[in-house]
Amino acid sequence: MIEFKNVSLKYPNGHQGLKNINLKINDGEFVVIVGMSGAGKSSLIRSINRMVTPTEGKILVDDQDIITFNEKKLRKLRTEVGMIFQSYNLVKRMSVLRNVLAGRLGHTGTIRSMLGLFPQKDIQFALDNLDRVSIHEKAYTRADQLSGGQQQRVSIARVLTQQPKVILADEPVASLDPPTSHKVMKDLKRVSREDNLTTIVNLHFIDMAQEYADRIIGLRDGEVVFDGPIDQVTEKTFEEIYGRPIKEDDLLGGDDD
Amino acid sequence: MPNSENINPTPRKRHPVTPKGLKWSLGTSLLIVIVLYILSVYQTTAFPNRVVDGFPIIFNFVVDDLWPPNWSYFDRVAMSLLETWNMALFSSTFAALIALPMSFLAASNINRNAYFYQFIRNFLNLLRTIPEIILAVLFVAVVGIGAVSGILALTVFSIGILAKLISETVEAVDPGPLEAIRASGGNVFQVISFGVMPQILPQYASYSLYVLEINVKASVVLGFVGAGGIGLILNQQLSLFNYDNVSTIIIVLFLTITIIDLISNRLRGRLE
Repeated sequence: MIEFKNVSLKYPNGHQGLKNINLKINDGEFVVIVGMSGAGKSSLIRSINRMVTPTEGKILVDDQDIITFNEKKLRKLRTEVGMIFQSYNLVKRMSVLRNVLAGRLGHTGTIRSMLGLFPQKDIQFALDNLDRVSIHEKAYTRADQLSGGQQQRVSIARVLTQQPKVILADEPVASLDPPTSHKVMKDLKRVSREDNLTTIVNLHFIDMAQEYADRIIGLRDGEVVFDGPIDQVTEKTFEEIYGRPIKEDDLLGGDDD
Repeated sequence: MPNSENINPTPRKRHPVTPKGLKWSLGTSLLIVIVLYILSVYQTTAFPNRVVDGFPIIFNFVVDDLWPPNWSYFDRVAMSLLETWNMALFSSTFAALIALPMSFLAASNINRNAYFYQFIRNFLNLLRTIPEIILAVLFVAVVGIGAVSGILALTVFSIGILAKLISETVEAVDPGPLEAIRASGGNVFQVISFGVMPQILPQYASYSLYVLEINVKASVVLGFVGAGGIGLILNQQLSLFNYDNVSTIIIVLFLTITIIDLISNRLRGRLE
């Protein structure tokens, strides 16, 4: 379980990223965070693996306050909390398989990993995970040869290879076209269901959020302005979160299936 | 008012493309530069007539003294040249090995400690300000005349260049993969070997070849202060006025350096 207790984050430049956040996210939930850009979605998600550090409050992950964690505990936490990025963050010159194996680094000794000596069972596991997002046949292709959607699926495979308990996805489909976005979101939802992973996704398209979320958290100006299960969410809810009427731009569309 | 009325068929006032103030400042700068050139000609007494008068001397030197080259001296030149090559090869390899870890310390996206980072940067700057000939004189004093002092001097000299070039490449890598590895619990060594190394490998190889190229040329000069290689015999033959031997050295050296540059450029072109 992930719990935010009075969490605030003020950046060194004076910008208030988060204001007094109180949240409880249960194991296995698929939560979508919505809000306009600059609303604090990234700050919230990145606080959970301490890519940014809140300046006030407590974040409890499995009852441990991660804000007090030292370097070593932090690395342990990060092996358990996987992350997916908007720009995929693969090493473009490296093969798909090596990129997926990078997910094992937190579990592999420094010298061993620097020499590239991964145990055979890790390699098998990485290939299995590529199979789960249906790009098994691209294992030895260079990452930059893949399309955007394929690259994001590689990064899902990388996260799975990490064997996390939680997946954080920071705008995972913002760089993809609508049909591909839906494919990637379906893959993400499916694997997180199958492995019973807590998944927290930032999205800014409201139709996507409604389609995939179990629960929606709405942020505006660093504050939680809505938090509820998907069946309580209507267009009115989004208008409240965004603080303005819903426009065409807020919808992604493009789900053919 | 419609736009077409703005276009005046006969403009009453001229509109310069370059503003007047800029014209003045450009003109003044140009004038200052020309005056500086003239002053430096007087200071160095590099008057054109001296060069023109000197041409026959150069011509006579080439025709009478340098020509014909003494080809029987070729074996000795080849051995020295091999020594020069080996000096360059060893020093470039050592420099490549030592400069790599140093360049990570000299890259702000890897070395997050601002003070340590500045210290390494300043140290590398200091290293580059020492001319290689001074390093050679120092090392000749330490380990004596011969190739070893040359290798040491060139190694130190190349570390300065290489670490600077590589660290700039490291600072320019795509930060995304580094972030991803940090976010998955990787330590700094894993960030380097999985995030940085694959991204800089082509440039690393290319810069190392470039340094090898420089070192072959630099080692010629180092021979003059006793640091081994072809410079050593070039210096000897010059002081003995054996110009036929000198000309063999120059011809062989010219061909070798051209070939090395050619191969190195081809390889580097393919890497990038």
